[in-house]
Amino acid sequence: MSNNTMKFDTVVVGGGIAGLQAALDLADQDFKVVIVEKDASIGGKMIRLAKVFPTLDCASCITTPKMSAAAHHDNITIFTYCELKALENAGSGITAEVRQKPRFVDETKCIGCRQCEYNCPVYVSDEEQGGFNARKAIYVPFSTAIPQLALMDVENCTLCGKCAKVCPTDAVDYFQEPKDFVIEAKTAIVSTGFELTPLENKQQYGEGNIPNVISALQMERLLAPHGPYNRVLRPSDGMEPDSIAYIQCAGSRDKSMGVPYCSRVCCMYAIKQAMLLSGALPLADIAIYYMDIRAFGKGYEQFYQNSIAMGIEFIKGKVATIDAGENGTVKLHYEAQGNGGGVNIAEHDLVVLSLGMVAGWNPEGVCPVSTGSDAFIETVKPKIAPTLTDMDGVFVAGVAAGPKDIVDTIVEAGAAAMEASKYMVAMARTSKAAA
Amino acid sequence: MGQIDDDKREGKEAMKKLRNERKQFIKAAAVKMKEQKKVIKAIKEQIKDNPGTVPEIAEGTGIQTSEVLWYLASLKKFGQIVEGEKDGAYFRYELVETEQEEAA
Repeated sequence: MSNNTMKFDTVVVGGGIAGLQAALDLADQDFKVVIVEKDASIGGKMIRLAKVFPTLDCASCITTPKMSAAAHHDNITIFTYCELKALENAGSGITAEVRQKPRFVDETKCIGCRQCEYNCPVYVSDEEQGGFNARKAIYVPFSTAIPQLALMDVENCTLCGKCAKVCPTDAVDYFQEPKDFVIEAKTAIVSTGFELTPLENKQQYGEGNIPNVISALQMERLLAPHGPYNRVLRPSDGMEPDSIAYIQCAGSRDKSMGVPYCSRVCCMYAIKQAMLLSGALPLADIAIYYMDIRAFGKGYEQFYQNSIAMGIEFIKGKVATIDAGENGTVKLHYEAQGNGGGVNIAEHDLVVLSLGMVAGWNPEGVCPVSTGSDAFIETVKPKIAPTLTDMDGVFVAGVAAGPKDIVDTIVEAGAAAMEASKYMVAMARTSKAAA
Repeated sequence: MGQIDDDKREGKEAMKKLRNERKQFIKAAAVKMKEQKKVIKAIKEQIKDNPGTVPEIAEGTGIQTSEVLWYLASLKKFGQIVEGEKDGAYFRYELVETEQEEAA
């Protein structure tokens, strides 16, 4: 074994809630697990949410303990800011080739004090906050990031040297290089999650060019306690909105966008956000334009009924087009299916597109695991063993296999861990019998 | 002493090489930084004596309202301004005390 090869029982690809749960379930059974994460922090999409449905738990409050438990577990090793170059099973076990990108900060020295960030003179749009405010060219990704380590964005760095000068531990390293290493394991769990359907993909909805039309994940940031404005404001001019609309199926059940399937979470997250908004802005009118409401999970129908009781207006009708109105408003053109029907125009201060989920990872050229026509990882026994892929020893968990909510993701992560555990126990039994 | 001088010289050489490799990025980032400094100065100047709303600051500086809000949110994050009283549907923003002293 060369010095850049490491051995584990399971490699988990993706450190979102699915990967963390699967890793914890295996590690608690004494399997050695490694998590390979593409971002600079673990936590996935869940840590970026404000609250979760239908319990309205604070997302950070229930995600950070899992993140922390994984980070401090004796049987779990985490590599963040990585690119998976290859994941194969040649018959003798899983081999993963990984490249860890340089942070330009020495991980062993950085204490996450953010002195570098405060002193850096270059402001860069912060994608972690929906682009509504700035980070710096050297930055800690967000306040609950794990690990709490800074990283440098060289494309926006002037090499002025201020960060190195103020760093109390001499952690800034302008010359850091990528690190390549190989992971050998008995099993792999793919938990690569999702991305939202791009805002730019729908010409009828302005392709991302109409002011005050935002995505649901951007609204999560506006609603989050550590959000960009620390309150809900209209991004075009800082006005507190009086009228907010949600457009359902804005990125799902839409063949023109190449997303014919239902993303299964948009109805519920829109209802959740609408309820949170009516708490944050008690005088605002909130409307949800929908085709049909899919509230299928435990407690979801009650959650939906509660939102109606709170005064959220549900308007049945598909929004055909949207365009910019006067003074930053947004005009919706829709055909109402209730109240006499007809083509109507409505104006709102802020519009949220309930975008759908698309696969977060394309394994082509990296891993021979099959994907379905929807581009999510193909499951070979979707009914009786939904975490099995067509690769021996490779399992799938969470949205990597198809759209699902957090509850189903957690359940599936546990199932994937159990399948991996079963596989490894059988492996050990076979080799013991052979000996 | 000689060893320290050699190390310093080597460090300077390596930095020079790195600057050369990244010169396109450095040039673009420097242009951006210069523009940002100008905008931030104009915004701070505008609210130096009287807290302002986004539309008021935009009118006073000639900078687009969306850009003003982006800068205000960013400066608030880094502790340079604070949100003040609400005025109609808008909030007023003001410099924090140390920033006020520097601006004066």
